Amino acid sequence: MPNASDAASTPAAEQPSGAAPTPAAQPSHAALPSGAAPTPAAAQPSEAAPAPGAASSFRTPSNWLPLGAAALLIVAILVFPSLAPNPYILSTGVIVLNWAVLATAWNFVGGFTGYISLGHGALAGLGGYATGLLVAKADMPSFVALVVAALLVAALAIPIGFAALRVRGASFVIVSIALVLILLLVFQSWSSVTGGSRGLVVPRPFPGMLRPEHHRVFFFLYGGLLLLALLTWWLLDRSRFGMGLKAIREDEDKAESLGTPTFAYKLTVFVISAAFTALAGGLYALWFGDLDPVFQFSVLTGSYIVLMALLGGVRNLFGPLLGALVVGIALEYFKVEFGNSPLHLVTTGLLLGLVVMFMPDGVIPSLTALVQRLRNREASSIREVTAADLAEQRRREQEGVNS
Amino acid sequence: MPSGALLFQSIILGLLLGGLYALLAAGLTLYFGIMRVVMIAHSAFLILAAYLAWWTHSRLGIDPLLSMVVTVPLFFGAGVLLQRGLLSRLRPATLTMMSVLITFAIALCIEGLLGYAFSGTQRRIQLGYGTASFDLFGARVAVVKLIAFGLATVSLAALYLLMKRTQFGWALRATIQHRDAARLVGIDTERTAGFGFGLGLATAAIGGTALALDTTIYPSLHWHWIGPLMAIIVVGGLGSVAGAAAAALLLGLAQSLLQIPMGATWAQTVFYVALFATLAVRPQGFFGGRLAQRF
Repeated sequence: MPNASDAASTPAAEQPSGAAPTPAAQPSHAALPSGAAPTPAAAQPSEAAPAPGAASSFRTPSNWLPLGAAALLIVAILVFPSLAPNPYILSTGVIVLNWAVLATAWNFVGGFTGYISLGHGALAGLGGYATGLLVAKADMPSFVALVVAALLVAALAIPIGFAALRVRGASFVIVSIALVLILLLVFQSWSSVTGGSRGLVVPRPFPGMLRPEHHRVFFFLYGGLLLLALLTWWLLDRSRFGMGLKAIREDEDKAESLGTPTFAYKLTVFVISAAFTALAGGLYALWFGDLDPVFQFSVLTGSYIVLMALLGGVRNLFGPLLGALVVGIALEYFKVEFGNSPLHLVTTGLLLGLVVMFMPDGVIPSLTALVQRLRNREASSIREVTAADLAEQRRREQEGVNS
Repeated sequence: MPSGALLFQSIILGLLLGGLYALLAAGLTLYFGIMRVVMIAHSAFLILAAYLAWWTHSRLGIDPLLSMVVTVPLFFGAGVLLQRGLLSRLRPATLTMMSVLITFAIALCIEGLLGYAFSGTQRRIQLGYGTASFDLFGARVAVVKLIAFGLATVSLAALYLLMKRTQFGWALRATIQHRDAARLVGIDTERTAGFGFGLGLATAAIGGTALALDTTIYPSLHWHWIGPLMAIIVVGGLGSVAGAAAAALLLGLAQSLLQIPMGATWAQTVFYVALFATLAVRPQGFFGGRLAQRF
């Protein structure tokens, strides 16, 4: 599990502050030797001991877990089209995979750097429109257009990221929302090129193909793209570059003072994320064949993506995928059951609010913690501590001292 | 080249619009100053107040301005609750990002509930004085626009006096400037921050009523407001009230003037162009903006 590296680094970072034996830190030190007795380093309760102990206890069972999950995912992608009882279910599968790719692509920025973008729906829309326009107006072959469109969007992401990432946090979110609003405005008004509100019809890549077969092909295409995105995320997670990005997430000032080129890193990962998002959007354009600015540049798309990623857990490789499965299927279900009532806005809002308030780390970490607690009560004292938790803990302690 | 009269008319309208922008941006600036929170739901509350004003007029038959008697205290309370109940419970390290999501979620809820309660139909208040206007050196100024501007100016002035002359205002400014120091001199910063949020949301109640006087409203209208307002507070420098007011007047004027050659839709892009230009050239904003440098 990608958490293993976090777990290895964070307890070590905790030590300087934990050196003063505060009441909160005491039990974890006391419980450690029993939990990780075999390692000689952990047997003596020195300050550096928890790092190797925590790493080994996390790594052994979870080494095969991502591999198993990946194998399961590949089998599921291969098998689902032949199991789907009718073309509608298959098309739902395509939509859910589309969400999964979008959420995973979002997680390159949101998960690694902690910068939350509400504008990724617009990047997908741009990818879709760029693909559609290249096919419809420039007569490019469909899949060449898809790649060119993704490169174009990635190139456009450089100036956007340049403006959005120079300052911290707040401005990034503002720009990401502004991006959606401005693109909606432009694509609706510039009707001579984009077709405006009448929409843009994208010629199909496989003209003679029957609809169920069309769904099946695109299901596999999306599946391949999802695997590529997951593989890239996994590679980044293990790389030095990924370390730097996670350092930005935990404490951007410290990362910068340690020599991480924070701005270049943030911009690079934003561009990678934009490229994957545009690929998903382009595939959608080729699959669906009809683009409307209202749906392509909707603020809702971005908020669904964020909801999926947060619900599943942004620190996990498969978190966004899991969230996309849950939320994507729920969205389709609600569309069938209740149509397009304004209440689905309320539902989305409530769900997003609940996740942010009570489960900001997502469902996977919550469940993992629960399983850990149930399986081994002593192991629960060694847990992954994020910089956010640490800061909060320190603040509490300080308030306790002050008052 | 448009005629002088048309230009003058646009300038007047731009300034009137800028006044409303300034009031709303002041609310956003307050939130950002107090908690570094970007309050996406501000414009959703604005539209909510506009709907309440419309409802008061069409169902109860009273002047929409009177709805403020209820909405202003109501929104003040909602702001206090929002800060105490939700935002102050978020983890400080991820506060900026998570608060955006929380307020975004609130905006979605308000939009959905408005659509559910009043349907997506466009609504407009029909007032006896709705079409009245008068000449001002050759420019025609609608009375309702002047009322809206007057409301905005009076509220801004009241806000200014409150911040500068009252003990609560001092406490609030101290909280914004340095929370720990404020606590050291005995200010209950938690309570003050809650009241500050209430104050910010009260500006949305006043702004919404002013907006309802001469605008057609519909549930998703708030997206058209949040973009320009966000642009204004970034251009003005996050956290600076005076900067936000200056940027509001300037951009309102620019929008109004650009409507002559470009039309209403494209003129809106001026906000986004200004936003991107500011972030690319001077990310801390053009006016003031002491806080923005760190965020």
